[in-house]
Amino acid sequence: MRLTPDQFLNYFEWLFDPKGLLQGFFLVLILAVLGFLVGFVIAMLKHGPGEGFLQVAKIIRELFVVDLPKTSFRRIAAIAKLAIKEAIRKKVLVVVAVFVVAIMFAGWYLDPKADNPARLYISFVLSATNYMVLLLGLFLSCFSLPSDIKSKIIYTIVTKPVRPTEIFFGRVLGFTAVGTLIIVLLAAMSYLFVVRGLDHTHEAKEISGDGTSGVSTLQRFHSHTFTLNENGEGATNESKGHRHLVTKEGDKIVFSKPVDDLTARVPVYGTMRFTGRDGEDGTGFNVGYMSEYQRYIEGDTLSSAIWSFKGVSPASFPTELNYDMTISAFRTYKGDIVTPVGGVVIFRSSDGLVESERIPFKVKEFLIDQRSISTKLKGFRKGQPAELDFFEDIAKDGKFDLVIRCQDRGQYLGMAAGDVYLRAKTLPFWWNFVKGYISIWLQMVIVICFGVMFSTFLSGPVAIIATISFLVLGFFGSFIDQIVAGKIEGGGPIEALIRIPMQSGSGVELDIGNPVLENAIHVADRGLLIGVQTLKSAIPDFTQLGTADFVAYGVNLFDGLLARHLTICFGYFLMTSIISYFFLKTREMAA
Amino acid sequence: MSTSTASASPSGTSTDPTNVIVETRNLGKIYRDFWGRKKVNALKALDIEVRKGEIFGLLGPNGSGKSTTIKLMLGLLFPTSGRAFVFGKDATDVSKNERIGYLPEESYLYKFLNAEETLDFYGRLFDMPADVRRERTEQLIQMVGLQRARRRQLKEYSKGMTRRIGLAQALINEPDFLVLDEPTTGLDPIGTREMKDLILRLRDQGKTILLCSHQLADVQDVCDRVAILHQGELKELGRVDSLLKVQDVTEIHVKGLDDKTKQEIKDVISRSNGELLQMDNPTTTMEQLFLDIVRESDQRPGRRGGGA
Repeated sequence: MRLTPDQFLNYFEWLFDPKGLLQGFFLVLILAVLGFLVGFVIAMLKHGPGEGFLQVAKIIRELFVVDLPKTSFRRIAAIAKLAIKEAIRKKVLVVVAVFVVAIMFAGWYLDPKADNPARLYISFVLSATNYMVLLLGLFLSCFSLPSDIKSKIIYTIVTKPVRPTEIFFGRVLGFTAVGTLIIVLLAAMSYLFVVRGLDHTHEAKEISGDGTSGVSTLQRFHSHTFTLNENGEGATNESKGHRHLVTKEGDKIVFSKPVDDLTARVPVYGTMRFTGRDGEDGTGFNVGYMSEYQRYIEGDTLSSAIWSFKGVSPASFPTELNYDMTISAFRTYKGDIVTPVGGVVIFRSSDGLVESERIPFKVKEFLIDQRSISTKLKGFRKGQPAELDFFEDIAKDGKFDLVIRCQDRGQYLGMAAGDVYLRAKTLPFWWNFVKGYISIWLQMVIVICFGVMFSTFLSGPVAIIATISFLVLGFFGSFIDQIVAGKIEGGGPIEALIRIPMQSGSGVELDIGNPVLENAIHVADRGLLIGVQTLKSAIPDFTQLGTADFVAYGVNLFDGLLARHLTICFGYFLMTSIISYFFLKTREMAA
Repeated sequence: MSTSTASASPSGTSTDPTNVIVETRNLGKIYRDFWGRKKVNALKALDIEVRKGEIFGLLGPNGSGKSTTIKLMLGLLFPTSGRAFVFGKDATDVSKNERIGYLPEESYLYKFLNAEETLDFYGRLFDMPADVRRERTEQLIQMVGLQRARRRQLKEYSKGMTRRIGLAQALINEPDFLVLDEPTTGLDPIGTREMKDLILRLRDQGKTILLCSHQLADVQDVCDRVAILHQGELKELGRVDSLLKVQDVTEIHVKGLDDKTKQEIKDVISRSNGELLQMDNPTTTMEQLFLDIVRESDQRPGRRGGGA
């Protein structure tokens, strides 16, 4: 799971971030303006620039003066109700049956030996639901209006006092209601599938002589070791992403259901910076990976990664400070391959005068290393050893730094801003699960808005193709960005098309023996790519809107992030409403 | 035999502008293809008025521009030239639809709804409250005789039943102006008679009706005025009785004459230099014969009618 720094912004920071031109308030504004711009282009193509401008002005006036004020909720509800009846009577609920079949046989292809079955199960249900619901939204929204136009039923609608706004809002509302019903059903089934699918327990297989530790039986391709205290209470080690609580009842040792596998940790993120080898400000090292997500610090130097936290209070951490780390290692020599690369954690006051002892750790690559320290700890005050209280000495005003250094000379530790966070508390898993489905719902609403918009001026099949193209651009937009930025070899679409019959590898320069033609191809490709990129910027980035990873990795989906996605969804709703209004207003229904 | 030609200004109706329900001024429509090339000149400079409280017929062969005219009046098409006004508002103004009822030439309705749901849906489109919708739905279902089929989905309806529910939806808002495109298509003779009676009844209630039909007999039976279109042009416009009146032929219907008297009448005509065109027993219409047989059959089930 990867988090980008902008995801840490809270909702209002994001909404009014002056740097983020394509986000927040500006995004909504730009999308609305884009809607009017598309309307102007349509009118200009039909009537020429002058008359087109007058037409647009007239339509905008009618939108705000007549159609919006006279829009009736009863008419919207009538069209919505009709869309719901249509979907149900045309047996859309079959989707639910298909999903039931899919999860009935899911056990066949979900690997029970996976390192973290919970993550696998959750990812599976969320992805399956996501794709099914988006496809459903696609088909529901693209065919309805063209079908009414083709069968001329629209004649009996638009000859009633129905406004274009009501046709669009009603359909979007109706299809969203159908989609919502289906999402709720799929979410309930998915939840049962995940919870029941992961449910298991163990029995004690081997017990030590003093009865305080042992090994469990093998269940679902794993077993645990466990320890018990003098009261007969304890827990197992973590295996396959979960633990069990263990209690001694008489002579019998009882294992609870799995714990910690279905969770929603609430992270408190800090801002991150690096220092170089000599402690000067730095940017971290790039060890040569294509991905620049993580930057690296060098071992046995002053190179460090520093996270600054603020607003941390004893209320969230009364006795212990919990923090999670997901750190990777880069070895420049093999050394002792069994022993992981080591590092230290230091908690330091923001003025740098008080700091904790160095807390050593060994890197647990690809895993979330859950750690904690007592709020009463040893450290140094102005360089002198001292007994410290975390909140009185280090985080006096709620602010402190967490410093990580690599200890092994010549080795590197890699990390990004989201890789270290404080774990304030744990929220119920079901709520995080619901939030994951709310994200899917938002994506569905966007697809429905675009589907209905395309269906206002295209026939059903063409509207489907247009919406699929927009979905593809939405899912693979970053790929287009990379091609435009020259980060992907092989050139643009024309060059790639020429390379296929030539069997020319993407790593070499295109050579067709005519430099002028090669140059022309590059220019044409550039133009095409910029066009596609411009189009892409008007389309939501579905990879950003997807939040399945939060749920699967047990991280609480920030409410602020969800609110941002809701705002983005509203922005696209606004844009598609305006464009649809233009099309419905200027379309001859009987033509 | 010649027919009188009516002037463009209809007789017998007021020319008060507040009485004009529909007015077209130089209305024209050219259909174009995807590339904007001219395909068909469907309507050329049409000037007509439909006045309050009349039944106005639009006649013409296929492709004459009747449907195009109706679609332009309803805002389903935009004119290439000229303008159309309904209730004094531009035909593209949605608010005019509050007072219009439209029965298309085929009943374009949602087949997955039943009669009650259909009327409820269209009632909602007129922003009618639930109790008004219920009451109106009940009245209309009774009026078009679909009581027993009210809960059946429209896909199970016969053509005649579909026509009836189509008419009911057109009347849901108690419109002042009704546009009926081929209202008797698909109806049996009884249904056709009922439809015509209903149209006359609606006219008597003060509604204005624009009727477009191929069934010339229907038009003749119900219309007050007609416009005849051909190849997109207005060829004739006027009151039906004036248009159909043969000025130089006299028709006398007399009952109970003996042969001697008939001969005397012939002699009188001959003496007056008149030309006797026909003197015979009149025949009834097939419609009337059919209706008499069905009526008798309803009264005495099982017996063969006496008309054979």
